[in-house]
Amino acid sequence: MFDVTTFAQLFVTGLAMGSIYALVALSFALLYKAVGILNFAVGEFVMVPGFISVVLLTTLKVPFLWAYLVTLGLMVFFGAVFQRTVYHPLRGRPFVTVLVSTIGASLFLRNTSLLTFGADPRVSPGLFTAKTVSFFGVFVPPQYLLIIATLIVLVVFQYLLFEKTLLGKKMQATAQDRDMARLLGIPVDTIILITFIYASLLGGISGILLAPVFYVTADMGFMIALKAFASSIAGGLGSIPGAIVGGLFIGVVELFCAAYISATYKDVFAFVILIAVLLLRPQGFFGEKIAEKA
Amino acid sequence: MRVKRFSLRILFYLAAAIVLVALPSLVRSNYWLGTIDLAIIYSIAVLGLNIVLGLTGQLNIAQAAFWGIGAYTAALLNTRLGWPFWATLLAAPPMAGAFGVMLGFPTLRLSGRYLALATIGFGIIINLILHNWKEFTGGADGIPGIASPVLGPFKFSTNASFYYLGLACLIIAALAQLKIKNSRMGRAFQAVKENELAAELSGVNAFKYRVIAFALCSAYGGLAGQLFAHRTKFVSAETFFIDMSILFICMLMIGGVGSIAGAIVGASLLTFIPEWLRFLQGPWAMAIFGLAIIFMMVFMPDGLAGLTRSIVQRIAARINPDGQEAAGRPSSGRIGATGEGK
Repeated sequence: MFDVTTFAQLFVTGLAMGSIYALVALSFALLYKAVGILNFAVGEFVMVPGFISVVLLTTLKVPFLWAYLVTLGLMVFFGAVFQRTVYHPLRGRPFVTVLVSTIGASLFLRNTSLLTFGADPRVSPGLFTAKTVSFFGVFVPPQYLLIIATLIVLVVFQYLLFEKTLLGKKMQATAQDRDMARLLGIPVDTIILITFIYASLLGGISGILLAPVFYVTADMGFMIALKAFASSIAGGLGSIPGAIVGGLFIGVVELFCAAYISATYKDVFAFVILIAVLLLRPQGFFGEKIAEKA
Repeated sequence: MRVKRFSLRILFYLAAAIVLVALPSLVRSNYWLGTIDLAIIYSIAVLGLNIVLGLTGQLNIAQAAFWGIGAYTAALLNTRLGWPFWATLLAAPPMAGAFGVMLGFPTLRLSGRYLALATIGFGIIINLILHNWKEFTGGADGIPGIASPVLGPFKFSTNASFYYLGLACLIIAALAQLKIKNSRMGRAFQAVKENELAAELSGVNAFKYRVIAFALCSAYGGLAGQLFAHRTKFVSAETFFIDMSILFICMLMIGGVGSIAGAIVGASLLTFIPEWLRFLQGPWAMAIFGLAIIFMMVFMPDGLAGLTRSIVQRIAARINPDGQEAAGRPSSGRIGATGEGK
């Protein structure tokens, strides 16, 4: 029953799915860290660009490079509008109020997408013509390798952004103490806007990468968001390395459990991990101390 | 002045009681009566949410799961063991409450944001179990053939007769909550919500009260589920999906968090509005609903209860500019005297 090739294939597939969860969890964690909100529309941050890229590539027959650039450009706009409408008028209110507002945004986006793009699942053509490539003797779809590589590149990029640039330092300062940052002359509102745009771009990249290997539907964001929540709890809510490790962990464990234990309960495992982490190590793998964030 | 206000209030309650009793004969349509029954059941579930969100400031995104646990408890006890309505009535709320304690114990020590995410996970797990554990829950086919409540010669099998039973449960649930709110326990809840540190320093065990509030909330959900099972005579897993948990939260937010009347009005409105919007296609209605939620959060954060309060205050201030202070704040002294919470 057990053989190494299957195991390795499952592992790579799990890592690819986990990379998507990690990117979405990263988007979720950034907004949590920066402004203390739980963004329940994070799944729609993936669904919307997924649809945009599918429409550009299949209906409008735009070349790949342009389709992807236009999608990401629209996601910059999307992030800014989201920040202005869903978050900005509610800043400083209790977190439940903002949370419900993001639920409203999620409902709105899900149903307008359903109206605009229809109920049929769509698949975007991939960049690659080959179905699988041999990777150290294991046959895997090249798109999976692209997804994993993109995550690695983004992690390095983000590290450089936060640690080596002034903008990154300003973002960190704003996340840590908004009032202090404002006193130091950091344009806090602009920095928050940039953080939303960055979170939206992360969703955009996930959506583009996911569209060739995953059916794009109006409801796809729901499960992705739930997995991202589980990932960020497992890694440690609001922790950047936690989001990445948590996402990869959930992706891999989920796939192995589905393959070796029960495919019916595939979606349960992520949440069993979530509850188990809360019981055993509530701060997550990389969590800081747990206290109500002001 | 006081006497006059008091008799006015009695008159109001009398009128309300007459309307409530006469409602089934005023609403002839069986369909709308069924919707009213549903609104009553939802109101009870939302009242439960009000304890956790309104009184202790925590968010429970799994009320539909507790509602489902109550419904399945009633359905299984009734169809497998032949327990009548009144027996499942005593079993379902404690069962849901026990699940609430089970979930609350590990998560309520953490910040409210962890609880919010943990409850989502719990809701999904419960739903998947209800859906896939075929031998026990009937899977996607659900459990049919749940008996209607019987009391002596009366059988509550029609929408109109069930209305009275549901209404009685709702009134008891609302009065119980009023009692809880104004009790020592209710004040402890509020203290934990306002300032946990200060509450702990005054000897209030915040964790204990959070668990109690959470258990009460899920028990209300269980009661709503039990009523639902005996009314529709059929339960199946997709009814108790996370969408309903979110809808319950929206009902409470729209009615006004912390307000008992608000919870009931919010639940009723959001039961009826989708029915009125039937002429719109499903996604249109839901998209508008989503936008409406954002607008509500921005412009009416305290819901209809908050809006009513501020309108009443404004009118009172105009009628009697000097008595603004007294009219504007129906606070501590009068709550006890008239039994009316905000």
